[in-house]
Amino acid sequence: MAILEMQHISKAFGGVIALSDVHLQVEAGEIHALLGENGAGKSTLMNILTGVIPMDSGEIRFEGKSYQTPSITQMERAGIAFVHQEVNVVNDLTVFENIFLNRELKTKIGLLDRKRMIEEASVLFERLGVDIDPTAMVSELKTSQKQLLEISRALHADAKLLILDEPTTALSTQEVEHLFTILRKLKSQGNSFIFISHKMPEIFEIADRYTVFRNGKFVSQGNIADTTPHQIASDMVGEQYLDKDYYEKRPLGEPIVSLRHLSGHGFSDVTLDIRKGEIVAFTGLAGSGASEVMQTMFGVMPFEGGSIRVGNQTLRGAIPHFMKHGMAMLPSNRKENSVVPDVDILDNTCIAEHSISLKKPVISTRRELERYEALKKLLWIKAESPKDSILSLSGGNQQKVFLARWLNTDADVLLLDNPTQGVDVGAKAEIYRLILEFASRGMTVIINTLEIPEIKKVSDRCVVFFEGRVVKIFDHDEINEHDVMLYSTNAINTRRGANHAG
Amino acid sequence: MRANKGGIAGVGSFLAKAWKRYSFIFVFAIILLVYAFTIQANGNTFKWGHITAILASQNTVIVGTMALGMALVIITGQIDLSVGSALVLCSGVTIMVFNITNSILLTLLAAVAAGAICGLINGVLAGYAKMPPFIVTLGTMLIYRSLTLSVVREIDPAITGSSSSQFAMLSSNSAYDVLRMKFGTGSLAGVSIPYITFVFVAVMLIILLISRRTKYGKSVYATGSNEKAAFLAGVNVQWVKVSVFVVTGILVGLASFIQACKIGNVTPASSGKSYEMYAIAAVVLGGVSMSGGRGNLLGVFFGALSYTTINFIIVSIPALTTDIQDTFQGLVLIAVILVQTVGPVIKDRFVEMKKRRLSRRQERSELAADKG
Repeated sequence: MAILEMQHISKAFGGVIALSDVHLQVEAGEIHALLGENGAGKSTLMNILTGVIPMDSGEIRFEGKSYQTPSITQMERAGIAFVHQEVNVVNDLTVFENIFLNRELKTKIGLLDRKRMIEEASVLFERLGVDIDPTAMVSELKTSQKQLLEISRALHADAKLLILDEPTTALSTQEVEHLFTILRKLKSQGNSFIFISHKMPEIFEIADRYTVFRNGKFVSQGNIADTTPHQIASDMVGEQYLDKDYYEKRPLGEPIVSLRHLSGHGFSDVTLDIRKGEIVAFTGLAGSGASEVMQTMFGVMPFEGGSIRVGNQTLRGAIPHFMKHGMAMLPSNRKENSVVPDVDILDNTCIAEHSISLKKPVISTRRELERYEALKKLLWIKAESPKDSILSLSGGNQQKVFLARWLNTDADVLLLDNPTQGVDVGAKAEIYRLILEFASRGMTVIINTLEIPEIKKVSDRCVVFFEGRVVKIFDHDEINEHDVMLYSTNAINTRRGANHAG
Repeated sequence: MRANKGGIAGVGSFLAKAWKRYSFIFVFAIILLVYAFTIQANGNTFKWGHITAILASQNTVIVGTMALGMALVIITGQIDLSVGSALVLCSGVTIMVFNITNSILLTLLAAVAAGAICGLINGVLAGYAKMPPFIVTLGTMLIYRSLTLSVVREIDPAITGSSSSQFAMLSSNSAYDVLRMKFGTGSLAGVSIPYITFVFVAVMLIILLISRRTKYGKSVYATGSNEKAAFLAGVNVQWVKVSVFVVTGILVGLASFIQACKIGNVTPASSGKSYEMYAIAAVVLGGVSMSGGRGNLLGVFFGALSYTTINFIIVSIPALTTDIQDTFQGLVLIAVILVQTVGPVIKDRFVEMKKRRLSRRQERSELAADKG
């Protein structure tokens, strides 16, 4: 019998349709994998289910009861709990205090009944097979323990359906095994789970059934036993037609960047040669190490072993050192890492160039304005006056200003970490057109992105990372979404995946 | 008709823009106006002499010079509570060096060097050791003053220049006359503006130029506005954070030199007390954002003038006894900041409310149209 039925759910934000007539059915006592690319609508549906946002139309039935406009507390009481990706426990309290947060047990005279709470917590942990001391401080727990604590807390509140949003991203292989043992135990006790994950091997190990969304639409559902990682990857990606193809093969120059057995925070033994004028895409899921490699190539974080060579220089040191040798990096998360909100567009453009030309300490405003105007024309930045606030620009135009910030340093190698994040479709296309143009003028570009269709559009090669290692390098002609997805989820190495791929 | 309307709106928006960018000038003008009224109400006439008194005041020149540094520190998102105590320490050094060497140049260099060292200690502890600047400078505030206090009693009166617990410039030194009589208390004939005020203005212009026309100045703003973005753009944010403390120290040293020339002595137990608070007040009156990243150094100049004038107003009201004066000083300060910071917020709320009401009305009319 289905514990949860969501039928004909639709939701639009402004003019953007996030979900259109989707279905989700979860049986009692099963682990149901909810799958889809970023932006497919998984989070929106889960937010609707937990009462965080209202749906435009559709029907939710949970344990036979119908909910039209559920509130957060209503769904909590009904027995639905959301275990978020970033663990949501109070670090400064003890374990048992977290479990009883807002539901504290009290003695007859209204004081907290610590003894009884600790006892109950121990009983709960024993039942679940979780090895945590109820009186320990949460800040002293490992991430995996915090996650188990959060699950325990939900179960203590009588949750029947738990939503696990990428629960294994921060866990080691052993910890994942432990978590899965507990999940199986809970499943046999009658609990149901919605399991959101990008890692194909995990899904095939733990899930019973699956549902796939793509671009806010329902694509398929079924039993895991009846499908293959290949099939699911196809369902997730679909037959996507690329927009106009700008890519053409260009003659490449001498090798300009070489990484030799580079190891550092979140990755190890990365060896790679990149040639002048080449566009290389890095890709991999969260935690794959692709972004960390890129940041290390710019001196943001130190590396532990191996070497980075640019031109004929071996580089090691802080950011300005890398900048002086022709490296530039547009970081991910524009708002946090690029926007200097209190200064104008011109100063936002010139800040990086300033830090490598400190030998001439005085600014020539006229020269800077000339360069700004030239860059503005080159990048098609839509801005009225260079004296306007950077915040007056749209996301896409802001991103172009930050591209201008780095072009202004006359770098040879441009590192772009997720450059089209939070940028609308039009600006996205323009940014990729620009990347191709820079490369044809001899600039070397490395892009880290999860958007595989875009990789196909621009890159000469695609480097796939999984758990901190390079697992595959595709040439331009070999790049297709399906295969890249197989390698970045490591589906190729699961037994079933390997059989079908072979 | 429409064009006419546009013209008026144009003037309005120009004034609104000017108010936003140069609010500190308007604030000063209003405070000066109030001062003029209180003078008149007391039965006196408001004269040029009143304005030169503002320009010559300790609160303008000494606190103002220190406030320029304080502004840089605040723009990087930090704070320096030690400037008042550092001023006393530097004054002690300045006067002793003068008494020993009788050299104007060496005295000035010693003042600046002592200030720079005080600032460097703050900067290294806050910038490199990453301790909260509030706590670091609270600590050095206690240290700098108590060191000066304990040293003044131990040193030969021939060097401190005084047998009681203070430092005093020896009038028997040959340079005393030039430094104190001519420079420290003299003023430019004709306009009767003191020389030390010109020094303050010159320093202000230099700091203003550094903040606006140098790469270093831009990096100070960037560090305070978004430290992470500045770091990722290659700005050495640690160094920037240390350097603003050193600049502040140098300015404190300079202020101690000016103060020595103006007054001739310093009492470690009482001189420069609460000056850090006055400096912060001048910075805030000058429109610098306490959360960092934003502020005009020209504003700090006017902020110092405004702060002095507020004091003059309070002192000139006979009904206010000395005990209650600080209360009024505090009230006026809070009121001015309220207008500066809460004003725009209230305005935004109002605009938003108007928008919402408009969209609701539109919705209703659309609904009515649908039904119709």
